[in-house]
Amino acid sequence: MNKASSSGAENAVARARGPRGFGGPVEKAKDKKGTMLRIWRYMKKEKWSLVVSIVFVILSTLLSLCAPYLIGIIVDEYIIPKDMSGTVRMLILLAGIYTASAVFTWLQTFLMVNVSLKTIRVMRQDLFNKFQTLSLRFFDKRAHGELMSRVTNDIDNLNQALSQSVSQIVSTILMASGVIIAMFSLNWVLAIVTLLIIPLMIYTTKKVITYSSSNFIKRQRDLGELNGFIEESISGIEVITLFGKEEQVFTKFSSINHRLRHSARAADTVSGFLGPINNFISTLGLALVIGIGALMTLQGLATVGIIAAFVTYSRQFYRPINQLSNVLNMFQSAIAGAERVFEIMDEKPDLQDKPNALMASSFKGDVEFKQVDFRYSEDKQILKGITFSAKAGETIALVGPTGSGKTTVINLLSRFYDIDSGEIMIDGRNIKDYQMSALRKRIGIVLQDTFLFSGTIMENIRYGRLKATDQEVIEAAKMASAHSFIKHLPEQYDTPITSGGSNLSQGQKQLLAIARAILADSDILILDEATSSIDTRTEIEIQKGLHYLTKGRTSFVIAHRLKTIENADRILVIKDGTIIESGSHMELMGQRGFYYELYDSQFNI
Amino acid sequence: MKSLQKLLVYIKPYKWFAILGPLFMCVEVAMDLLQPTMMQHVIDTGIANGNHAYVIKLGFFMIVSAVLGLLGAMGSAIYSTKAAVYFGTDIRQDVFRKTEQFSSRNHDTFGTGKLITIVTNDITTVQNAVRMTLFILVRGPFLFVGSIVIVWLTARELFPILLIAIPILSICIIWFSVKSGQLFQKVQEAMDKVNTKLQETLAGIRVVKAFNREEFEKSNFKTVNDMLTKRNFSAEQIIVSLMPITMFVVNIAIVGGMWLGAIQVNQGVIQVGMILAFINYLHIIMNGLMSMTHVLMQITRSFPSADRIIQVLDTHIDIESPQQPTPVSEIRGEIEFRNVDYSYSKNGEYVLKNLSFHAKSGEKIGIIGSTGSGKTTLLKLIPRLYDPDSGTVLIDGIDLKNHSLEALRSAIGFVPQKATLFSGTIEENMQYGKEHVTASEMEEAAELAAASEFIHKLDGTYDYTLMQGATNLSGGQKQRLSIARALIRKPNILLLDDSTSALDAKSEAAVQRALKEEFPNTTVFLIASKISSIIDCDQILVLEDGMIEASGTHDELLMKSSVYREIYRTQSGKEILNYE
Repeated sequence: MNKASSSGAENAVARARGPRGFGGPVEKAKDKKGTMLRIWRYMKKEKWSLVVSIVFVILSTLLSLCAPYLIGIIVDEYIIPKDMSGTVRMLILLAGIYTASAVFTWLQTFLMVNVSLKTIRVMRQDLFNKFQTLSLRFFDKRAHGELMSRVTNDIDNLNQALSQSVSQIVSTILMASGVIIAMFSLNWVLAIVTLLIIPLMIYTTKKVITYSSSNFIKRQRDLGELNGFIEESISGIEVITLFGKEEQVFTKFSSINHRLRHSARAADTVSGFLGPINNFISTLGLALVIGIGALMTLQGLATVGIIAAFVTYSRQFYRPINQLSNVLNMFQSAIAGAERVFEIMDEKPDLQDKPNALMASSFKGDVEFKQVDFRYSEDKQILKGITFSAKAGETIALVGPTGSGKTTVINLLSRFYDIDSGEIMIDGRNIKDYQMSALRKRIGIVLQDTFLFSGTIMENIRYGRLKATDQEVIEAAKMASAHSFIKHLPEQYDTPITSGGSNLSQGQKQLLAIARAILADSDILILDEATSSIDTRTEIEIQKGLHYLTKGRTSFVIAHRLKTIENADRILVIKDGTIIESGSHMELMGQRGFYYELYDSQFNI
Repeated sequence: MKSLQKLLVYIKPYKWFAILGPLFMCVEVAMDLLQPTMMQHVIDTGIANGNHAYVIKLGFFMIVSAVLGLLGAMGSAIYSTKAAVYFGTDIRQDVFRKTEQFSSRNHDTFGTGKLITIVTNDITTVQNAVRMTLFILVRGPFLFVGSIVIVWLTARELFPILLIAIPILSICIIWFSVKSGQLFQKVQEAMDKVNTKLQETLAGIRVVKAFNREEFEKSNFKTVNDMLTKRNFSAEQIIVSLMPITMFVVNIAIVGGMWLGAIQVNQGVIQVGMILAFINYLHIIMNGLMSMTHVLMQITRSFPSADRIIQVLDTHIDIESPQQPTPVSEIRGEIEFRNVDYSYSKNGEYVLKNLSFHAKSGEKIGIIGSTGSGKTTLLKLIPRLYDPDSGTVLIDGIDLKNHSLEALRSAIGFVPQKATLFSGTIEENMQYGKEHVTASEMEEAAELAAASEFIHKLDGTYDYTLMQGATNLSGGQKQRLSIARALIRKPNILLLDDSTSALDAKSEAAVQRALKEEFPNTTVFLIASKISSIIDCDQILVLEDGMIEASGTHDELLMKSSVYREIYRTQSGKEILNYE
């Protein structure tokens, strides 16, 4: 946002008085035509506003072209001959032209802003909706910050470009050609003199931009490094303090900060030159026009009125030409941004419902994995030939070292990812036969990494079942042993949770996540290290609630404290992506294998 | 606004740059202002009288003035940028330094995210605002005032037009600036809501999917998105009117000027050239005003940033090293808590209540208790990350507050619950523990922390470079390095906050053994969730609701502590009948 708003203001400044700043190297779109066509498809709904707006641009541009022409005529034919009544008549006409021009300009920008805001709103919503359809595999690959910037920066840039540059480009081109025609019809020699300056202007602008680009890249690099360093040291400040490393960290910070000082100064200074240089060139052009015009007047080849008109024209001419490069740059980076947005919209969700997917209203709860293989990325196989079955109502525990693939098994059952080969069945049907939404609705899950949304405690538990009454929410909280701590919060169930839940301890968050899953009331229950941050005594307390919850439901429990899963109907020991042992607690203890060792090491008091 | 003023002390060292910048700008403005006058003379004196030489002379002057203007503007760019960038750099130095001195409580009041934003974005915003002010903002008033003065001096006959136009323009612009400032603040709020929603659904995408809440989130997003669009629209509506309205006022003034001028030309009072010059000055005035407005809008937006920066700089640091610390040759590690109370918020619940215990030098103290019972807080009071609200913590019989912070912390090795490592090589991370560390010392510490084995499997072993957040190591590996980093300083006090939880049983046992054998004189505090980790401790504190429910050795506790027995029962599965 910051970036967008500052570039907006800078552009506004540029609009008022030649380009003063330069925003850095311009990014180019890969498929400009295609992207523009797609933007057009979004704007189509506002087609008429757009057409009307462009008509207004044309009208107001034409009117502002007329004005200097008229001024020249008034001076030459009315003021100098001292025709007072004629002058007044013409001035009224001029005032009328100015009024109409202002009205058209206003209408045009108003319409354009309207069009662009509406377009942008739809686009932003579409992008967000698209995120909701994409699978976890997509999110695994990308940084959140990068996805965020598509919705914020890229779309904002497009907004700027749509609301400003479209009409600016139209009016500039029109203005330039109009001015050229008018100038040639007035006096072709002076017209050529005026045009002579343009190549010089384009050349220097290009030079300055090339030169400052390299400076900008340096500045961007230093700024990135500094921000990274700041982020790291502020997040790790406790450790820095504890080890007394403040001085050293500061020295390092200082050296990066000074490097940035150097590169920022270079980049900003050079970009500050661009405006004055262009200003200089246009003044030079003006002087040239006046000088030559004056000489021609002396020889009777031009008139004072013509010079007056040329002065106004050349101002009208140089400024837009100066700006055009700015506007085009802005437009170009907006297109590049739009391309990034469309890139996501084009992303094919790799998980989709089959055409005739079943709308399962409830599951009995028979689960079966048959020779399931899975890998997150090409190079590393996570699961190999996983085969097991769970009858309705059974509790299955998954144990094994970190990274062995326990959570993956559960991810696959909820169809967060599709398997590479094999089959996963619920109630005797492949899970791909069910609608994904129906499938997930019937599977309740408590994740290892509990995530809470900003909002109240009540709202967060209710996330499990949106239609639940307050009473039901409180019941669920009681069952999850969360009620006792919620009671002690300042506003109890209405206590707001800050984003990410930083005002609660990890254990408390887990209790809320459990309450949320309890409320969801599903047929199959998954607990992925659901109680890992909860102390053993509270855990026992929750076990009672969970016991009630798992009764009659097929449940999958991942736990690193083996004590909590002793009573499971079956325990699957997973190591390196394969099931190496399976059976009840007693059976596995009897085998004296991996499980036995693991258990022994934990309870060897 | 006030905050921005307060920050201005930082420009003091660069006051010459800050003065030279606008001064050079004056040159450009003056030259810009001269142009129409010179033009007027070319027309009125040169062309009207057919004076060839005069036209050439003035043409030459015009070019010279253009060159001077260019030089002025470039000088202004150089010095304004210098002043602003140096100003920003210095603020950044001070703010960063200040955040380093923050106590953990200071840090908590801001929050990590906000602090990062302040040091990165807010300072840049203020720096840009200063640059804009020096480089562009001053231009507006100069042009504006200069034009008025010149019109007064050279075209006084047409001055009445300005008397009408200028007040109207000024009122318009002031009104628009104020209004748009208010409206954009609302836009910003709506934007923040959109960003929060977005950020949350991205971070919590698994929860969204697990609970099948895609449609719910879409409709949530629609609400904030529509709100943003609506607010944007009402703000833009105002903004877009500014341009046509000012243009209209100026253009009508031009018509008025021509009318008044024509009358006076008729009467032979003035010449035509003056009318043209007047039109030019009107354009200059308008441009000056417009650019001023836009820059002003941006500068207004930097006020909240300045506020936040000042907030950091003005924060009272609540933990500082004493002026005259009690001289201590070496901290032995005898620790005593006397009636310690602690609460994170001023009127919140106490996390530690009237806590007292005594640990002799070289003792191994285990701490166990339920979630939220205050274990970590207790540990953090020892290196003075927090100060107790009441009561005292003593080391070697001296109040912590009388120990020099540096001496105190350098005697302590701390292993936090979450292993925080820094980007850089493993060796650099080890140097956190001890500055001039030798290869054999590193190897020894790594060996003790059961880290040696995996380090030797990495490319370049100790030169292996960690990414930010050490994302290229597993949780268990990070934890081992974090332990090694604490051990390498051979501390007299070692604090382990549930830090062996990410280790497998065998490694944990190895680390435990190492602590006992290699650090016999070190006082060790060990928070654990498993009784097996602390069973051999000289003393175990059982924490419950911020109080010590019981303390003693394992065997003693099994006899006298019901809480401890309960924990034991849940973990061992054995009923302890023989004690009851």
